[in-house]
Amino acid sequence: MSEPTGRPSLPNVATLLSGQVRYQFRLLMSTPSALIIGVGFPVVLLVTSDARHAHVAVATVAGYSVFGLTMTAFNTHGVRLVAARESGILKRWRATPLPRWCYFLGRLVTVAIFATMVGAITVLVAAAFYGLHLTAAAALGVLITFLLGASAWAAAATVLSSLVPRVEVASPAFIAAYFPVILISGALGQISSEPRWLVDIADCLPAKPLIDAVAGALTHASGGIALPGKDIAVLAIWAVAGLIAAAATFRWEPRRPAQHRDARTRRQVKTA
Amino acid sequence: MSAILAENVTKRYGELAAVDDVSFEIPAGQIVALLGPNGAGKTTTIEMLTGFITPTGGRVRVLDTEPRHGGRAWRASVGLVMQSTSLDADLTVRALVSLFAQPYPDPLGVDQVLELVGLTAEGNTKVGVLSGGQRRRVDVAIGIVGRPRVLFLDEPTTGLDPEARRQAWAGIENLTATGTTILLTTHYIEEADHLADRIIVIAGGQVITDTTPHELRTRAGASTIRYELASAASAADLPASLAGHLEADRRTVLIHTADVTGQLDELVRWASAHQLDLGGLEVGPPSLEDAYLSVINEPLASKEDSHV
Repeated sequence: MSEPTGRPSLPNVATLLSGQVRYQFRLLMSTPSALIIGVGFPVVLLVTSDARHAHVAVATVAGYSVFGLTMTAFNTHGVRLVAARESGILKRWRATPLPRWCYFLGRLVTVAIFATMVGAITVLVAAAFYGLHLTAAAALGVLITFLLGASAWAAAATVLSSLVPRVEVASPAFIAAYFPVILISGALGQISSEPRWLVDIADCLPAKPLIDAVAGALTHASGGIALPGKDIAVLAIWAVAGLIAAAATFRWEPRRPAQHRDARTRRQVKTA
Repeated sequence: MSAILAENVTKRYGELAAVDDVSFEIPAGQIVALLGPNGAGKTTTIEMLTGFITPTGGRVRVLDTEPRHGGRAWRASVGLVMQSTSLDADLTVRALVSLFAQPYPDPLGVDQVLELVGLTAEGNTKVGVLSGGQRRRVDVAIGIVGRPRVLFLDEPTTGLDPEARRQAWAGIENLTATGTTILLTTHYIEEADHLADRIIVIAGGQVITDTTPHELRTRAGASTIRYELASAASAADLPASLAGHLEADRRTVLIHTADVTGQLDELVRWASAHQLDLGGLEVGPPSLEDAYLSVINEPLASKEDSHV
């Protein structure tokens, strides 16, 4: 294969990646629902559940902040990704000389940072108004945990986005996948007398380890950063496996009508 | 080296051949229109040439590269305006075009691009509030911002009003002045006639004809003579040879003929004999639309016959 020569050199990928992050960040910031879901819901939950108490429980802050973070990294990111693909925006980018991984990574990095910010706002509100004790070490531990957790959830959403055939079913599909996981994690309150097997399942999914890691960082970081190893390991496995699966299954193009036509034709042939 | 090459290209979806043994070669700098009815295989052909679809059979090359394996440098040399895509509504036109200019090594200036597509006044307008035609021009702006050597335009002026369409044509013509090779699909015969050096008609996934607009027009054979009877004239006075060409309104004589001189002579002699003025007489070349319709109907009709 020969490549055209004699033209100025292509822009370096670091510049392109930072351009993509700025672009995606700008789009997210101009999406009011992203902020309402990620920040509004957790803060309202905080206000309504703990307004009577002088000091909010660490577990409550961890649960609500993770709720906002995961809604953003999973639902908002996933639904927007399906919409971008089905409307042809991904395909348009694929037609340019932007490296594919650059667009892919740009979206993931942006949503991980944005979701981390969203979770951090809930923690800061709790620290400012509800007596949460927050040291610098704890804050750093929480940010690291948030980034890892957001990456894991965003990667999982990217995988699911490739399975969703149309934008109309994106929101129900993501909600259906999300709420069982978040409910058994205890993010919105502990379920009384959870069976052991349900706890074991929750321990392996990325919500409960994220909540436990955030609570751990908030509770035990008086001297330095202390993150629960097992929970961090579970999140890291989800993040790495999710990234690999997302890269392998990522679809740039809308589902083609011809594919449906093809399927129909095949059925007819089979029937005949 | 040809800029675009398709050799015996086929794309099948199960039993359906969307593109069936299509071959053509486009030299650098030429504008070629791919004409055909809906479902003819035009977009599938473009998608194979831009690397979005892998052909089931045959070979495609663009700038001597197999599109499916074209790297960044190749993509920087190839522009694409797709048939229907969305744009990020919250960005301004200028911001969006600047953004899409980033991955290219030598992009056109944003102001230059906006001028080319007639969107200078809308540079600071958010894409979401633009009309459909203006958005289509943003599509074209994004397609050309990288200064492509080969440009694929999939129905670039669909939805544009006549004035906007002419602006887009002017922009496309400006590009060809710099040597850009263009393959465009269109439903508009006049667009193909105005822009293209060459027309490839495709129907049922097959190339029906590959020729120049002039050649295609002459294939229709007949020039047109049109005369609306003067108020003093009566259709009953027409000689039989002319009366046979009367339209349903019984006032318009419409003659499709290869013998323009002979038919005109007869009409002039009849008008002289009846002391009638021939003001409003029209003599025109064969219609490209008629020629196009005749070539796409022939194979379709023969295919239908063969299925019976």
